[in-house]
Amino acid sequence: MSEPSSDSTASETDPRPPGSTALRRTVLVVVAIFAAWQIFATFLWIAPASGLRQIVPGDLLRSYMIPMQGQSWSVFAPEPINGDYRLQVRAEVTENGTTRTTDWVDATAAELSMLTHNLAPPRAAIQSSELASRFKGAFDELSEEQQEVAALGFYQGDDWRERLSDGLAAAGDQAVAGRYIEAERTALAYSTQVAYAMWGDGVDHVQFVVSRQNVIPFAQRNDPDAERPAVQPAPLGWRGTLEEPGQSRENFARVFRTAVEESGQ
Amino acid sequence: MSGFRRTLGSYGLTLLRFTRGLARDGLAGAWDGLARGGRYVEDWLLGEKHAKYGLAVARMLLALTGIGLLVANFRTRLYTFGSGSAWNGEALHPASDFPQIGIFSLFHRLALHDIAFTLGYLGLLGLAVLVLVGWRMKIILPVFFVMWVSFIEMNDSVGDQGDNMYRIVLMYLLFADTAARWSFDASRRTRARTAQSRVGRIWQGDALLPSWLTNLFHNLVLVVVTCHVCFVYASGALYKAGGVPWQQGYAIYNPLQTQRFGAWPELSDLVGTWAPMVAAISWVSIILQMAFPMMLLRRFTRVIALFGIGGFHVGIAVLMGLPWFSLAMIAIDAIFVRDVTWCRLADRLRSGWRAARYTDRTRPLIDDATADVAEREVARA
Repeated sequence: MSEPSSDSTASETDPRPPGSTALRRTVLVVVAIFAAWQIFATFLWIAPASGLRQIVPGDLLRSYMIPMQGQSWSVFAPEPINGDYRLQVRAEVTENGTTRTTDWVDATAAELSMLTHNLAPPRAAIQSSELASRFKGAFDELSEEQQEVAALGFYQGDDWRERLSDGLAAAGDQAVAGRYIEAERTALAYSTQVAYAMWGDGVDHVQFVVSRQNVIPFAQRNDPDAERPAVQPAPLGWRGTLEEPGQSRENFARVFRTAVEESGQ
Repeated sequence: MSGFRRTLGSYGLTLLRFTRGLARDGLAGAWDGLARGGRYVEDWLLGEKHAKYGLAVARMLLALTGIGLLVANFRTRLYTFGSGSAWNGEALHPASDFPQIGIFSLFHRLALHDIAFTLGYLGLLGLAVLVLVGWRMKIILPVFFVMWVSFIEMNDSVGDQGDNMYRIVLMYLLFADTAARWSFDASRRTRARTAQSRVGRIWQGDALLPSWLTNLFHNLVLVVVTCHVCFVYASGALYKAGGVPWQQGYAIYNPLQTQRFGAWPELSDLVGTWAPMVAAISWVSIILQMAFPMMLLRRFTRVIALFGIGGFHVGIAVLMGLPWFSLAMIAIDAIFVRDVTWCRLADRLRSGWRAARYTDRTRPLIDDATADVAEREVARA
């Protein structure tokens, strides 16, 4: 590493750098205009959508910013998150010819044990929190009738996924049902891995429940008897297992089982 | 009557001449001012590279951010990004746009192959170390940028805004000379070039492009990054100010009480107990963010802003379990510290290190001597 005083390199001490004044000024103006556009585009993109955006024709702003400069700075705003999302899983397992229903395992508590009291937590710690948050968002969009359909069991035969989709679509808005089906697919694929990790390959069906629980309201925080508000669950029926291609059960189970032990379950 | 009219006429003429003179002077002055301003801007942009130390520190801290994130996730890499995470469907249908762009698709392609993915992961870690020490940055930084974006966009759902800031600032830095100070590149540039060919001399540290051109890009990067950071902070403050928990001064309590954003529950409780402190932290964070652009203008307020925002990020890093987001933001703020300050800090560290080394070397001698005396005393007894 160089000393801070070694200021001069060959290129910087040239008294008259090459390139005529006219050339330099032209380049300066062109590059500076581009920089100004970059700054203006960033400003428009970060600021809330306003009439100012009409200065930029058509879809230019979006296509200029996305994907490389995608960003959103309403972080913890206007209202910061005030609750925890949770994903719990249980399964029906057949071992040595007998079928039993397992206890629930709290996947979110397991993963968050990697975050609590850790100065440099891995991103593994927040997977099920994020998953549960997105699932709950999609579930809450469903109509009451659709939620009743989701609460039924769908696991028998090979066509349970089609029956679930059809049932949801028939009970309310199709686009909402479609978004929910996507979210459930991901959550189910995760829950299936949780089940395999906990109870082995004899898993027949799984059931998962996503819930949200708010924190103790600020006003009651110093009340020793205060308890967190009631859990808001998304009740769901049993489902068949679902595994995405390329999934390694082993690489999931190794980390997940350690996390479950760490969380004291 | 006619005398009055004559007097009026002469006053009118005087006024006309006076106004014309004023306008001429004003125009000339304005033109002069514009020309002087233009020359100043031209000199500032083309004359030399500014904030070389600040950008070098930004480069090193961004590299440390990358290294820290990769090391912290190493044990769980296959669970979060690799074949253990195929359940999230991103291996088949990426949630991010990047895996579908040729050069950013490398890690996406490797995702399900454990060994290849691990090799790529370690390769990326190696590149981050090279960025830290500033070795061949003109080649390494673009490669690191492409590989980093390819990696961090593998699992979109666990990312945060720190990833976006990191990517965008790294992109800006491709156009600046981040290795001008405190780097292997910088020390190479001070050595004599012995090669005969132009290519050989460039490899030994000769400039590839004329300095006015690289100065222009380097300095505009500083301008662009400064504007960007100001927009980020000011908009963050304004978005927050719209929310009731922020207005009522208890906003920081809520996320700290969750498990997801309360990495140290005991500290969260401690910070949240006394309402005046909760309100002060909540409001000061908004005010600092809002005032950041203006506070940059003068040194006195700049110091307050940088320590304030820095402390705020340390709080986020520890209490909320977001160290890499915070370190990335602190890295960017490093460009606002003047070169002379960085040099002074480096001198202090160097002399402190030398002092510590000196003491370290002499201690064994003293210990040996003491041991000798002790042995002799034992022998005598």
